Amino acid sequence: MAGNKAVEEVLEFIWSQREQGSNSVRQLLGIEEVAEEADIKTLEDMGRAGLVNISGDNIVLTMDGERLAEAAIRRHRLAERLLTEVLAMDEASIEKNACSFEHTLSPEVTDSICTLLGHPPTCPHGLPIPRGNCCKKERGEMKPIVQQLNALDVGESGRIIFIASNSHMRLDKLGTLGIVPGSTLRVHQKRPAFVIQIGETTLALDPEIIKEIYVKKIF
Amino acid sequence: MHGHGKHKEALKAGEKWLVLVGNPNVGKSVIFGALTGRYATVSNYPGTTVEVSRGTAKIGGQRFGIIDSPGVNSLVPMSEDERVTRDILLNEDIGSVLQVMDSKNLRRGLLITLQLAEMGLPVTLALNMYDEAGERGITIDADGLSRSMGLGVVPTIATQRWNLDKLFDAFTHRKSPDFNVAYHPNIEEGIKRIGGLLPAARISNRSLAIMLLSNDTTLNDWVAESAPGATAGIEQIRTETQARFKEPIGYIINRTRLKTVDSIVEKVVRQEHTGKSKLSTLIGSLSMHPVWGVPILLAVLFFMYEFVGVLGAGVSVNFFENTIFKAYLNPWTTRVVEYVFPSGLMHDLIVGPYGIVTMAFTYAIAIVLPIVGFFFIFFSFLEDSGYLPRLAIMVDKIFKLMGLNGKAVLPMVLGLGCDTMATMTTRILETKKERVIVTLLLALGVPCSAQLGVILGMLGAVSLAATLWWAGSVVVVTLLVGYLASKVLPGESSDFILEIPPIRMPQLSNIVLKTLVRVEWYLKEAVPLFVLGTLLLFALDKTNALKYLEAAGSPVIVGFLDLPVETTKAFIVGFLRRDYGAAGLFALQKDGLLTPNQVVVSLVTMTLFVPCIANFFMIVKERGAKAAVWMTLFIFPFAVLMGGALNLILKIFGVTL
Repeated sequence: MAGNKAVEEVLEFIWSQREQGSNSVRQLLGIEEVAEEADIKTLEDMGRAGLVNISGDNIVLTMDGERLAEAAIRRHRLAERLLTEVLAMDEASIEKNACSFEHTLSPEVTDSICTLLGHPPTCPHGLPIPRGNCCKKERGEMKPIVQQLNALDVGESGRIIFIASNSHMRLDKLGTLGIVPGSTLRVHQKRPAFVIQIGETTLALDPEIIKEIYVKKIF
Repeated sequence: MHGHGKHKEALKAGEKWLVLVGNPNVGKSVIFGALTGRYATVSNYPGTTVEVSRGTAKIGGQRFGIIDSPGVNSLVPMSEDERVTRDILLNEDIGSVLQVMDSKNLRRGLLITLQLAEMGLPVTLALNMYDEAGERGITIDADGLSRSMGLGVVPTIATQRWNLDKLFDAFTHRKSPDFNVAYHPNIEEGIKRIGGLLPAARISNRSLAIMLLSNDTTLNDWVAESAPGATAGIEQIRTETQARFKEPIGYIINRTRLKTVDSIVEKVVRQEHTGKSKLSTLIGSLSMHPVWGVPILLAVLFFMYEFVGVLGAGVSVNFFENTIFKAYLNPWTTRVVEYVFPSGLMHDLIVGPYGIVTMAFTYAIAIVLPIVGFFFIFFSFLEDSGYLPRLAIMVDKIFKLMGLNGKAVLPMVLGLGCDTMATMTTRILETKKERVIVTLLLALGVPCSAQLGVILGMLGAVSLAATLWWAGSVVVVTLLVGYLASKVLPGESSDFILEIPPIRMPQLSNIVLKTLVRVEWYLKEAVPLFVLGTLLLFALDKTNALKYLEAAGSPVIVGFLDLPVETTKAFIVGFLRRDYGAAGLFALQKDGLLTPNQVVVSLVTMTLFVPCIANFFMIVKERGAKAAVWMTLFIFPFAVLMGGALNLILKIFGVTL
């Protein structure tokens, strides 16, 4: 049952419903994508397989269900990042591809993608990506192609791939200073405060902002 | 440090303003000064201008109104000073805009040009700092830029007045650039729908719709006034449009603009690598270096102590006070006055112990003026060099403890010039919480130039150890209050994002001009208050009330602070201006009435003492009357308490300075 695509989809939706603060069966089945793949019988099957517990209108993940859902969500959101930032696909094709992508990724490939992207904390929609083993380990042999700006050394340059910030205000402010994906910047110094250079502008930036800027190093 | 805001210039019917707009620190105020002949404060850090200056330019016998505005990075305001600029564009009768830009940073400048064009305003571009761009190997095809955007482009070097005469056409220019950015179809649809709800305004319907779609909440008042009832509709369209995108609409709009800008920049800018590294770049890097930055900071402070405290307060005050006033001016005046009024009230009023000449003028002109003069010279040099923003980098971590960030160092350091003007500069800070904390700390712990000078003079006469005790106490108290305030006050802190300008060799002419303007301002603002304070003391003395006040204050002043009873009158005038109070202490010290320990205790108390009257009213204006009263009620007893605490500490540890 675990490898079943429909079941994985449903688990993912239970997870994201929970992020929005809901655990209602009725609401879950009301989602179009869920209704296409499953009905109340599927949920009951999943309950018997020990993936979810259903009582009345409430549905919660069991330990096993939790583990599967987390892995599936992680694959899905990493796939979205990969398609958006690295392959620069447009919105419509991202969703379609991310959905088929996620069911075929092995754990090793998932971790490689995560490392490659510099262990991004959120998907392009700003939702958290569950951490994997690779995120906890110190950097391995594989060099990420995308990394947090603070991973660059003083004097190195990078092209901004994405900015993982949920603060609109911050994105707007950075935008007016020309700090947007595609721009190139250079690390001038890291202490006592982080200073970057973008064009002929020298800017001091908070370490929290620096951590949200993901760049591809330019050699 | 001094505003021209009170000066209102009016236009005749049918005339329109020319507005100077541009990114921070690109030279708007220099151009304003050159075109109008009026001085607007010019420095080398972003946020010097926080208020609007108005003036008139005379060209070929004709007069034109011109407005200088605070620098902006976007016309969707993110701080109060940016809002001032946007409001000018929204509300004033504007004929044309002269956008000043830093030629090295065309990309950021053009981002604003696009917004001005969107507003439908006739724009002329001044490519300022053209020489600096050249030094960095940047060449700009001005004609190409002019053609691709459909507006006038003039390369300038404002500080050398190069090409400024070519800007005259901008005043009569009335054709708006026909250049528009096309956004994503969904956004365009939202713009059209919101536009349909808005009335005609001074700037284009499209630009207003774009701002509202970007969730510019500072426009709420304008909407409520000009299009009552449209608020809900606008909000709905905004939410609907936003739902179609994963990123904030404002951000997407901005990225589209940047893309447009980048394609223009690619066509008109050529960058060559010069490979040359300049000395100023090296100095700039060292002064914010984690290791070298510290000795440089200490050197700056030590130089200030030597220049202002020793040279200004020691040598030049001696000359003014002992030679000019005590040897010549006071005896002469006394002789003349005695001839007219042999004795009595008028005699004492002019040359008595609390006389206008012997006390008010002696303090204001002989003691404080030379000190502030020296301080202003030093400070202007610091401002124009570009060091201050680098200082912000050095102290960012410390300021974080107080719920602030490095940017707050700018108003705090300006407070060393004048707390009143610095209180106004808190507008560059983004959140209300930060503005309140900095306003409080300015009123509490930052001595203004006049006071600082007198203090340095007194401490210079004692010892370096005394200076360190004083500075240490004030810094610790300020940090403590800042820390507590950040915990107590509600609200948020903002991100530390600060632009660091290049280090530049200050221009002598600007330093001289700025110092003179500030000295003039000091004379106008401080001397009347000094006279008022003297009259107050005079009245208190003549009615014997002074003795009662001294008796009433004596448990605190003599008992708690261990100071001689004579210091009471210094603290009384301290209510009017802290520097006047400090000058009173200075005179007592010179007469040998204060021991070194008493000097430090009295100075710490006086430094923390109530804000001066002008500062009080500025707090009322910027933060509201309630905040001003609360702050003063807190500061006064707190200052005395801290002075007493220091006295106790010195006694317990048996420290003699």
